Amino acid sequence: MRRLLLTVAMTALSGFAASAEDAGDAVRPITLLTQPQAAAPQEYQAAEIIADAWRKLGLTVNVRPLAGQQFNQVIWYERQRWDATTWQMVGRPERSDPDELTYNLFVSANAANGYDFVGYNNPAYDKLAQEQREELNIDKRRALIMQAQELINHDQPYGFEVHPKNVVAYNKTVWDSKSFVSQAGIGIRNTWSWLSIAPLGVQKDVILNSTAPPTNLNPFNIPGGQGSWATEIVWDRLMRVGPDGLPQPWAAEKVERPDTLTVNLTLRKGMKWSDGQPVTLEDAVFSLEAPGYGDKAPMYKPFVGNIASVTITGPDTLSIKLKRPDAAFLVSSLSKLNLAPKHVWAAIFDDLKNKPQTAESIQEEHPVSSGPFRIVRANLNQEIVLEASPDHWSHPKINRWIMRIMPNVEASVGALKSGEINFLSDYTGDPQLLRDLAKSSPNIEVSEALDIGFKFIAFNERRPPFDNLAFRQAISAVIDRQLLAEDAWGGAAEPANSWISPALGVWHAKGIEDRLPGGNFAAAQKILKDAGYVLVGGALHYPAGVKETTAAFQ
Amino acid sequence: MARLAAERLGHLLLVLWVVASLTFLLFRLMPGDPTLNFLSPTFTDETRAALLKGFGLDKPLWEQYIIYLAQLLHGQFGQSFLQNQPVSQILWDALPNTIVLTLVSLCLAYAFGIVAGAFLAFHRGRVVEAAAIPGALATRAAPEFWLGMLLLALFAFHLGWFPTGGAVSPGGTLGSLGNRLLSGDFWWHLCLPALTLTLFLQGLPLLLMRATMLEVLNDEFIVMARMKGLSRWSIVMRHAARNALLPVVTAFALGLGASIGGNVVIETVFAWPGIGRVLVQAVQGADYPVAQGAFIVIAFVLVVMNTVADLAYAFLDPRVSVGARR
Amino acid sequence: MRAVRTVVRYLYGEPFAAVGVAIYAVIVTMALFAPLIAPYDPRAILRDGHRIARYLPISAEHWLGTTAGGRDVLSQLIYGARAALEVGLTAAVAVVAIGTLLGLLAGYLGGWVDKLVTRFADVVLGLPFLPFMLVLAALTTPGTRVVIVTVALLLWPNTARVIRSQVLSLRERAWVEAARVTGCTTGRIMFVHVLPQVLPLAALYGSVAIGWAILAEAAASFLGFGDPDSISWGVMLQDAYASQALGRGAWNWFTPPGLAIVLMVLAGFLISRGSEKLLFPRLAES
Repeated sequence: MRRLLLTVAMTALSGFAASAEDAGDAVRPITLLTQPQAAAPQEYQAAEIIADAWRKLGLTVNVRPLAGQQFNQVIWYERQRWDATTWQMVGRPERSDPDELTYNLFVSANAANGYDFVGYNNPAYDKLAQEQREELNIDKRRALIMQAQELINHDQPYGFEVHPKNVVAYNKTVWDSKSFVSQAGIGIRNTWSWLSIAPLGVQKDVILNSTAPPTNLNPFNIPGGQGSWATEIVWDRLMRVGPDGLPQPWAAEKVERPDTLTVNLTLRKGMKWSDGQPVTLEDAVFSLEAPGYGDKAPMYKPFVGNIASVTITGPDTLSIKLKRPDAAFLVSSLSKLNLAPKHVWAAIFDDLKNKPQTAESIQEEHPVSSGPFRIVRANLNQEIVLEASPDHWSHPKINRWIMRIMPNVEASVGALKSGEINFLSDYTGDPQLLRDLAKSSPNIEVSEALDIGFKFIAFNERRPPFDNLAFRQAISAVIDRQLLAEDAWGGAAEPANSWISPALGVWHAKGIEDRLPGGNFAAAQKILKDAGYVLVGGALHYPAGVKETTAAFQ
Repeated sequence: MARLAAERLGHLLLVLWVVASLTFLLFRLMPGDPTLNFLSPTFTDETRAALLKGFGLDKPLWEQYIIYLAQLLHGQFGQSFLQNQPVSQILWDALPNTIVLTLVSLCLAYAFGIVAGAFLAFHRGRVVEAAAIPGALATRAAPEFWLGMLLLALFAFHLGWFPTGGAVSPGGTLGSLGNRLLSGDFWWHLCLPALTLTLFLQGLPLLLMRATMLEVLNDEFIVMARMKGLSRWSIVMRHAARNALLPVVTAFALGLGASIGGNVVIETVFAWPGIGRVLVQAVQGADYPVAQGAFIVIAFVLVVMNTVADLAYAFLDPRVSVGARR
Repeated sequence: MRAVRTVVRYLYGEPFAAVGVAIYAVIVTMALFAPLIAPYDPRAILRDGHRIARYLPISAEHWLGTTAGGRDVLSQLIYGARAALEVGLTAAVAVVAIGTLLGLLAGYLGGWVDKLVTRFADVVLGLPFLPFMLVLAALTTPGTRVVIVTVALLLWPNTARVIRSQVLSLRERAWVEAARVTGCTTGRIMFVHVLPQVLPLAALYGSVAIGWAILAEAAASFLGFGDPDSISWGVMLQDAYASQALGRGAWNWFTPPGLAIVLMVLAGFLISRGSEKLLFPRLAES
């Protein structure tokens, strides 16, 4: 009853109710896909709030949860089928440089099979994305990135929601709070912290949690977020992204770029693999070339795609020649590719040549690595135990790094309280609970940091009315981002209108959240009205003459 | 008796075969593409087709069925999609945890239920009965996971007396079955899930024991014994209890079979690494060799325990012949 | 009229069954008159000023407070009775129908029909309930339909066995022999003469089946295979669990649906227990 009154009132006030002759067909019911509530409670609640807002515009909206792999199947492999979905881009250190997301998300070449799964196609954007990739002057590049953000803001291919904050907690009687390192866009849960945290007492193992088991631990596989915390410290890289978001020399102790197409590296001396063999230049060359072998490492292949050749130029030096200038190469490739032992993996790659499997699915029984930590045992469904590598130059102060798989959020909080874990690293629940816990418990410290990543509603531009600019602008305008940040994400998020997070201060377009075309409910209605949409009896109709030709999602 | 056992055994094998075949059919109809667990946006169609071939999913259905049956007879369940190890290993690891949880809970529940049931039969018509019976029924009427969560909230979160989940503290390992049974840590983690399950299960033996004891207490030979002047208590313990135990023992066997499968929710709430939890995770992750294997094992235990219950009943009550009993 | 008086007199002397009936009456009333009783739309996201009305405690406006999503708990609880009855009754009717039919056929016709039905029952008894429901939910779309189908497919054997026993004994009665001699067809004897005699027993199992169906739906929802569009007590519990209501101490949210389930299932048990005396007066002598 109340709903009916509300609709009538709105229709009367907005004054764009019309008779059926002035209008096209009614817009079909829209299905907003999302993850199940238990898996992603904040996203789910956000979806419900947004669906409510869209209903006020006169749309019929169904929120439909799909579980895990069925969700991925539909969104990724059935791109003609869905209307809109909640989605996210996770923050990783390698994404400290905006190139990866700027290029992959919106360049039209990636629409069929790649990360441009919404089907956005704008030649002006393609040009901008390509230019920024090759522009090595940082000020010029910055200007290009700003332009790109303004363009996307105008076109609204995504309804950006928020940049989440990473909320973690730890036991401050076990760990010296001052010894944690905060990394831009990541927070304190990062490789630098694991290398530098100092135990205060007897407990010298860091025990943390993960809500999802990693698929495997393998230098040629990019696991989900939690799995990468482990692989980042087990396998070394030539460079690493530092706490300031900029690349630092790591396994390569010197990195020079004499010209736009050349990168010269000097390999650090004295590194050893966990099986005792020394790390050689051949290993480095292999690690840079192997992902390009056929399709055996498809996840890493794009990151070596720009490498024309790798040549050994001295007893510890090598030279990489690129095919075209690449501003982000040091971050998106050299800080991402793992150093893998040639004496183990060359044979594996050879063996795989005639088999359907890729290198990603191989799980070594005793993985050989050269990082600051090495794998003691990995029972992927229960826990992963790493121990500090005794000879590694970074000298971690902790003995072991143990990750416990705990799918239940309540249980993981309880585990922190009881001491079963001493670092709550994967917390998807209500942040207020953690803050209350920290207030009431002298042992617990909470840390919140704005993430590089973002959450958004993806609009499938292959299906009307999402292919219509005015429609997208309107439905994006009614998303109350501040409300989502405060209520759905419990204050552990900030409104977003760009794929670049404010945590990346250099690249983020300041104030873009407020430059949304439309920006509120009344303005959204005006956009629709000006574009010819009409409300008939409370339901949104296409402009006159337009038929609804798309079938609703089943 | 031997003839009965042989007949039941033959029957058992038949049922097992049908259940296995049903499971095969059920799982082949599962939606979703298992190769998506190695999801990579950069996979080509050829790679995915090749993966399907590697898992044997491209063969015709009847051929897969034959392979499946042959593997089952050897105790093999194929290879997990997600974990890169044989399914049988995963199941073999998890099954003992479920069995220990179930056995411990059942024994506690039945021990309590038998004593309490006898007590209630003894005190027929008193106030305690009016409260106890709805109380016992209520524990049976409550959702198991709800009971579990209430206990978890109180004893683990609020009071901190027990761990919040899992079977072992961080950094430790679950060794062989022998090691687990000897590990104090394991038993400490077992407490809350077992307590929840016990609470849920005790209603049935309690009411059953009470009902059958009431019947038996009226039997002629009990009356005879009373006339002989024996004390009430000795009558109860010596004669009535022994006769009333028959249906309770049968129920125990049946309960064991049913609980193995029903533990799914308890294992989820407490993150107990048993076969129920393996099944749930496998279903959610479309790791269907594991899901199939877990389902079969659970079903097999159920069928076997049903048969054991039948045989136990016949064994304990030789007055009943094969035909008339059914 | 005489039947009503019998029932009322019986209930007077059988307090358990009376309580069970009373509970059902309350639940049925809640379900029938939900739109009138419930203060809010159970699915409406309520606002507290500009913000969402999350986790509001018990108050005059919200007798049981609100959920993490800003919905009124009491309204959800009331509407939940509808889902409970829908699932419970449908499943119970299905179980009773299948079980009675098969028990009747097996018991009366005997021979190979009996053997077939009994073997079939043995196989079905060998399928574990929750795992089967899980797999079936993954196979099709999760929801109440899966719960009802699973209950109907897997819980009929016990009913069938008991009906079969009773039919076996009824078959030897004189009046059945008489009907046969006067030329009634087998079908007529089975469905017109024998069936009404076994229906009370079947109804007994039905009342218990209602309870099992509701518990099954709650378990399915908890594991994430429930119907997200429906407001059932099971979905309420899953919502609370997923939103960490326990950690928040939101007992006002978490306890009522659980209690409602307990009461409804309990009612079924109580009625069936009390009914034994009504249907089989000889047992009352014990």
